[in-house]
Amino acid sequence: MIKTENLLKRVEVAGGQLEILKGIDLEIKASESVAIVGASGSGKSTLLGLMAGLDEATDGKVWIDGVDLQQLDEDERALLRAEKVGFVFQSFQLLPSLTALENVMLPLELAGHSDAESRAAGFLARVELGERVTHYPSQLSGGEQQRVAIARAFAAEPVILFADEPTGNLDTETGAHIIDLLFEINREQGTTLVLVTHESRLADRCDRRVRLHAGALVEAQA
Amino acid sequence: MTALKMLLRDWRGGELGVLFAALVIAVTIVSGISAFTTRLQNSLEQESHRFLAADRVVSSSSAVSDSWGEYALSQGLQVANTLSFPSMVYAGDEDMVLASVKAVSDNYPLRGELLRSDQPFAAPQAIAHGPAAGTVWIDSRLFALLDIDVGAQLTIGEADFSVTAAIRSEPDQGSSFLGFGPRVLMNYTDIPATEVVQVGSRVEYRLLLAGDAGALETTVEWLEPRLENGERLLDVASSQQSIGSALQRAEQFLLLAGSLGVVLAAVAIALGARRFSERHYDYVAIMKSLGATSGRIARLYGSSLLILGAAATLLGSLLGWSMQSLFFVLFGDALPVTPASSGPRPYLMGMFTALVCLASFAWPPLRRLGKISPLRVLRRDMPGMAQRTVQDYLVGLGAIILLMLWYSRDVNLTLAVLAGLACSALVAAGAATLLLRGGRLAGMRAGSIWRLALAGLQRRGAANTLQVVIFSMAIMLLLILVLVRTSLIEEWQTQLPEGTPNHFLINISPEQVNPVREALNRKAVLSQPLYPMVRGRVTHINGEALGRSDDPEEGRRERETNLTWSDAVPPNNEIIAGSWWDADSAQPLVSLEEGIADSMKIKVGDTVTYTVGARELSVTVASIRRLDWGSMQPNFFMVFPPAVLQGYPATFMTSFYLGGEEKQFLNQFIREFPTVTVIEMDVVVQQVRAIVSQVSAAIELVLGVILLAGALVLIAGVQASVDARLLESAILRALGAPRKLILGSLVIEFGVLGLFAGSLATLAAELSVYILQTQALDMSYQPSPLLWFLGPLVGITLIGGLGVWNCRRVISSPPLTVLREL
Repeated sequence: MIKTENLLKRVEVAGGQLEILKGIDLEIKASESVAIVGASGSGKSTLLGLMAGLDEATDGKVWIDGVDLQQLDEDERALLRAEKVGFVFQSFQLLPSLTALENVMLPLELAGHSDAESRAAGFLARVELGERVTHYPSQLSGGEQQRVAIARAFAAEPVILFADEPTGNLDTETGAHIIDLLFEINREQGTTLVLVTHESRLADRCDRRVRLHAGALVEAQA
Repeated sequence: MTALKMLLRDWRGGELGVLFAALVIAVTIVSGISAFTTRLQNSLEQESHRFLAADRVVSSSSAVSDSWGEYALSQGLQVANTLSFPSMVYAGDEDMVLASVKAVSDNYPLRGELLRSDQPFAAPQAIAHGPAAGTVWIDSRLFALLDIDVGAQLTIGEADFSVTAAIRSEPDQGSSFLGFGPRVLMNYTDIPATEVVQVGSRVEYRLLLAGDAGALETTVEWLEPRLENGERLLDVASSQQSIGSALQRAEQFLLLAGSLGVVLAAVAIALGARRFSERHYDYVAIMKSLGATSGRIARLYGSSLLILGAAATLLGSLLGWSMQSLFFVLFGDALPVTPASSGPRPYLMGMFTALVCLASFAWPPLRRLGKISPLRVLRRDMPGMAQRTVQDYLVGLGAIILLMLWYSRDVNLTLAVLAGLACSALVAAGAATLLLRGGRLAGMRAGSIWRLALAGLQRRGAANTLQVVIFSMAIMLLLILVLVRTSLIEEWQTQLPEGTPNHFLINISPEQVNPVREALNRKAVLSQPLYPMVRGRVTHINGEALGRSDDPEEGRRERETNLTWSDAVPPNNEIIAGSWWDADSAQPLVSLEEGIADSMKIKVGDTVTYTVGARELSVTVASIRRLDWGSMQPNFFMVFPPAVLQGYPATFMTSFYLGGEEKQFLNQFIREFPTVTVIEMDVVVQQVRAIVSQVSAAIELVLGVILLAGALVLIAGVQASVDARLLESAILRALGAPRKLILGSLVIEFGVLGLFAGSLATLAAELSVYILQTQALDMSYQPSPLLWFLGPLVGITLIGGLGVWNCRRVISSPPLTVLREL
């Protein structure tokens, strides 16, 4: 489903170049769930961004569902994301001027679904926020906001879901509830799940974990 | 996700306020002011037609061929005839006076109206036609001169008429300003009965034409080749200079104000759009991560702008329409004609302005939103996008110049404002950099509030410099308007102050000079000096005889002119070439008016020969003068040293002010000096004064709207930096800084910015006003010391106040709330 080959990311910094990723080879199968772990600054989020086509690699290749991302420009990658990719972020990334329902509708509208509103409402009910559809993000707690984000991520029924520290901004109890929800819907939809986390509790729920250290893959275990 | 939905959501979130308000103000200013000036111009055109009593007039010294009138009628025009001639009129056997008789056909006047009253000097009433056959209306003073009342019999030549009213004013009386006696108005059909008009009589026939422009054009083309010597075609060249110049200045001011308003609104739009786009960085990043392409983002924001532009155009046009309607309500009866329609053009101009503003100021930052990296969803610290490019600034500058030129149609005015803007921008950028650096040095030794504030100023040096530039340009534009408005209104007030002469006395004989002066002094009316007048005619220039000219405008060469003498430069006259002579000079010199010198192509040093009576007089041109024709003061084309005109037959003239309730004085005066001619100008003076005061009110109103645009720029400018300041202050509060410290440093920070901006604005405003008044508005320039106090004060108060107000949340809500929202 996802494959990287000798993936390299370098950035210009004062006094030279910094290598963030040093040639990553990774393959993730359909419906597999993979946790990327590692210390802060090890390159986890950069790897996630590259695999999701949010960023361009300095060298190497990424395939999503057989499509070579390096061959696509930014707009073609966006279309690919609209079709196949969903996201859950640490800081939720809900649009503050939209209601919960409108936030969930956003990817459905972008993908051109005519029944965006009813589908969005259904997914909000699925994450137990059926009563809060008209609320704005500022009127929701952190856990509730992340549930809206999960509803938004699954609403367009992506084949791959990328999650960046999905519980990083939440307390333990709320975080546990979010993890349950995430894996539950993931199983229902048979989505491929790639998540970046510090939390072993979350990483343990995945089929596989890969560890990054200073931009290199040091260990991969089932 | 449609553009409309996004706009509605942004509207709810308060993101659009400044952008939308600025657009609405731009459209309001452009459509309102241009609708007003268009309607005013159209009205004035009609108005000047009234002063001819027609749209076109053929003037002739012999009877005009009947076929001309028939042709005009066949073209669908209205036609009227008048005949003017001097004649002795008699009441009974003893009393007789030389009167200026005018016979008018039944449909006279074609434009404008006659004013008559039932009794001499009583309240005048408007009437659409002249006297019926067998009756006459006569000048108020003629009643006194002839010692008769309404109903009496009056004899002209061989015919008797019944006097039925006093004639108070005719629309085309301006053309007989220096007539030869009191008016008698009679019916055209009664002319043959009088038997006074014979071949060779001194008469003026007029054929009056009115109707639609096309028919007039055709008729004029048909008539022109048929005109012979002594026949002239008159159009609306030059009536009523006083009203004209007052309104023209007002119009120029309004166009200036409008241009500045549009510039201010454009700046506010640019700032508003920039902030709008900055607030949408995350929005766009999220949408892109969810799969929106850059084309889709561009379409979304492009159509948002179009919807915003359409809404602003609608609302702005409505407000503009209301604004100009309000102006005309203010004018009320002061405007002598019903305001003409403006047509749709002003509102199309408003729409065009909105489009140009959106395309040049709002679109560039929004267009770049499509380039935001979706990676921003993972890394919020990623820079949003590239800064504005040089290209953006050039597009903006080009658009401002285009709008100003297109709108004011005045290159000088546009250049003056641009010079001011450029000066303000350059000086502000340079000085702000220096001052802000100096500020830090001072700050290091100051108490902690000062240190915090000045360190803040320095830290955001680049942003603050930009802010100072924008603030000082906005304040400069506002100061310019206030300054120009003040001198404009002051100039009007000094031009036609309370007590402006509204009556003229002419034909005062030398023996009557002292008695007339005493009579006026007795009545204590405000009076001008008595000016001598000698009738003379220019015959040669530098020894060369003046030929007959085909150009009717040059007819004045042939005509007798009034010459006067004076030791000193007459009041309200300005020497523009040469020099004035010494008092008591007996040298053969003359001083000419600018216009007549131009038309006769005479320079200082040329020799001009006159015929005065039967004698020849050759003089050298010593100076050229510029007169203020709007001042209602006696003005002379040609002035000589007193000794030069000694011995020539002279009469005297003067002017004085007489209030409406004192008109009876004229009766008494005329009885005492029956040969002196009185010209009543009180109606015109009153009209000019009324219009001037209404125009002043309109100007105040426009100034108010422009001030609003200025305030928007300041608000937009302050808002641009509020987020950064809020974040810092919230962190400081979280770290335990007391509110007083935060508030104090904010007050100082914005106060210092305001002080810089205000001082720089004052400097630039003085420069622009100097250029404007001397180059574009033809006014005299005076420095305004008050401004040097006012400018900085306005800067500190406005920017300090607005800045602290916009940052008030940081001290009024808990720091965590602020941090979470940012």
